[in-house]
Parts: sequence; structure tokens; C-alpha cells
Amino acid sequence: MRIETCYFCSSRIYPGHGIQFVRNDCKIFRFCRSKCHAAFKKKKNPRKTKWTKAFRKTAGKELAIDPSFEFEKRRHAPVKYNRELWTKTIEAMKKVEEIRQRRSNNYIMQRLRKGREVEWQRDVREVQRDISLIRSPAAGLKQRQALEAADMEVEPETIEVVDSKGRKQVIEAPVVVPATAEMLIDGGEVEL
Amino acid sequence: MTYKRKKYHHGDTHLKKRWRVRNRKKDLDEIDEDLKEEKSEKLLNQDVDLDLPGAAQHYCLHCARYFIDDKALQEHFKTKVHKRRLKALELEPYSIEESERAAGLGNFKLPNKRKIVTQNSDVIDKDGEIVLSEDTPTPIKKKKVNNVA
Repeated sequence: MRIETCYFCSSRIYPGHGIQFVRNDCKIFRFCRSKCHAAFKKKKNPRKTKWTKAFRKTAGKELAIDPSFEFEKRRHAPVKYNRELWTKTIEAMKKVEEIRQRRSNNYIMQRLRKGREVEWQRDVREVQRDISLIRSPAAGLKQRQALEAADMEVEPETIEVVDSKGRKQVIEAPVVVPATAEMLIDGGEVEL
Repeated sequence: MTYKRKKYHHGDTHLKKRWRVRNRKKDLDEIDEDLKEEKSEKLLNQDVDLDLPGAAQHYCLHCARYFIDDKALQEHFKTKVHKRRLKALELEPYSIEESERAAGLGNFKLPNKRKIVTQNSDVIDKDGEIVLSEDTPTPIKKKKVNNVA
């Protein structure tokens, strides 16, 4: 006695269940329930029907390629009964099933983790875009200007050291960069 | 019930008739078999059968349909029904083996994509290159065929 697989949804068909259709080229199509049979009669494509195994595997929703799938085989020649072989096989089946289960669960979790990452990036982008709704860009502008003014007053003494080179370039570059960096750090501390 | 209201309720009898086994048309995997050379040649050059439309002389391989004359066949190649069928045949058809692979009997294989062109649409040149005939002068198709060659 065999547990067959449904042509449409690839589920198991136990003895006494489902229906078969034999096409005029002798191919046997087995269906687990009338839902699958009706879908077949309507010539639906199992690869495009979302609830079938074939869809989930073609769309990459489930683990499709793995060595653990290679254990199950269709054997037409009967094996002579051997108690030891029998018990060993049963144990191996349990072990294989456990490993396969773990791997497929892991695969799904990996797939979902990617979504979390995308979600996180979207949140960051939203905050950067809409921060002005919470905190005005003009907030603390006066203090910043005051700070800049203070820096400008201090600096001329240091600039005078570099005299022989082109003055403007040498002066502006070192003055502006450290000033803004400090401001940013200050601003961040205030927010926190 | 008034006459008009009666006309709103057709049900699905007209559809059910199409799903009956006696009205079954060929499945995509059967047509895929037909596309192989030995079979396709046989189907395209059939003996005269007066029971079939056009005495079975004008057959569309991809749609598995008989037409009454060559004009009707050529018109059919331009229709959406035919183009949709070509598109559906591009991916390898679903099979019983694939349903078993999806259930966990061996690794699952993704279906391959192929190029499907309407029958007799290409004529071989003197140089041995495939060039489309005058009936289908679309430039997009020409490119595809050149890639195949």
C-alpha cells in the first residue's frame, strides 16, 4: 500500500481518499480532494496557484534544493524482510525528517529576516526625511551662529602663522570644518 | 419571474459542458510532446480526413486546432489566443514528476524557459541563415529568431 501524492497540490493521499483521472495516454493523475480535481478540470496551472507546493517552491517560499530531499525514493522492487534493516530504516527516517524540518524552518526564517532589514532601512529613511516635522531646522540657529562668531574671533591669531601661501583657501578650509563637526555633535547631545 | 430576470441567471452550465471529459482538449504537456520533430511532422502533414475541419490539412500545432483553409490558419496566427498559447508554452509544462518533486521526492527543479515560434514561420536562406517569411514582418520577432540561429 502506498501513500500517493496529489498532482495539483502535492499533498499526501492516503488509501481510500481522493480520485484518479487516467488520460488517454495512460498517465494517471491523482487528486487528494475535489478542490484539486476541479482545479485540474479548469486547467489551472499549479505553479501559479498560490496554495500549492509547486507554487511555494518555484517562488522560493520554501526550501527546494537540499540533500535531505534525496532520501525518499520510489522503489518498485520489494526488499526481503530483515528485522535489523527495518528498525534501522525507521530510525534513519526519523532522523532525516528531523533534519529536513529544521533546515526548512531555518530557510523560512532567513527569508523573513531580509524583510526586517528592509523595514529598518525604510524607517531610517522616513526619519531622515520627516525629522523637520518634530524638530524645526531653525532650532538652535542663534546659538550656532553665536558659536561660529566666537570661533571666528579666536582664529585670526592662528591663521596669521600661514602667510606665504594663498591666504583665502588656507584660512577657510580649516576654520569651517571643525566648527560644523562640533556643532553637529552638540546638537546630537541636546536631542538625546 | 419575469422574462428579463430569467436571462440574468445562466449559472455555470455552459462552463461545465466545457469541463466534461468528452469535451476535453489537449493539455499543455501533450502539446509539448507534439512539438517534438517526428510528431510535429506527422501532425502537420496529415492524411485527408473528411470528418475533420478542412479535411485535417490546416492544423495549428500549439493550439491543437484544425482550420478550414490556409487563410483561416494564417489569420489565427495573428490572434491573441494563439499568442497567449505560445507564451504559455514558453515554460516547460507541469508534470506528474514535478508534483512529486514538489512533495519532497528529490530536489525541486525550476522549469526551463524556451523560445517558441509559430510553425513554418521561418524560411532558411541561401546562406543557411533563418529569415522570417513575409507573413510575419515584425522586427521584434526577427531579432529573437536571429538569436536562436
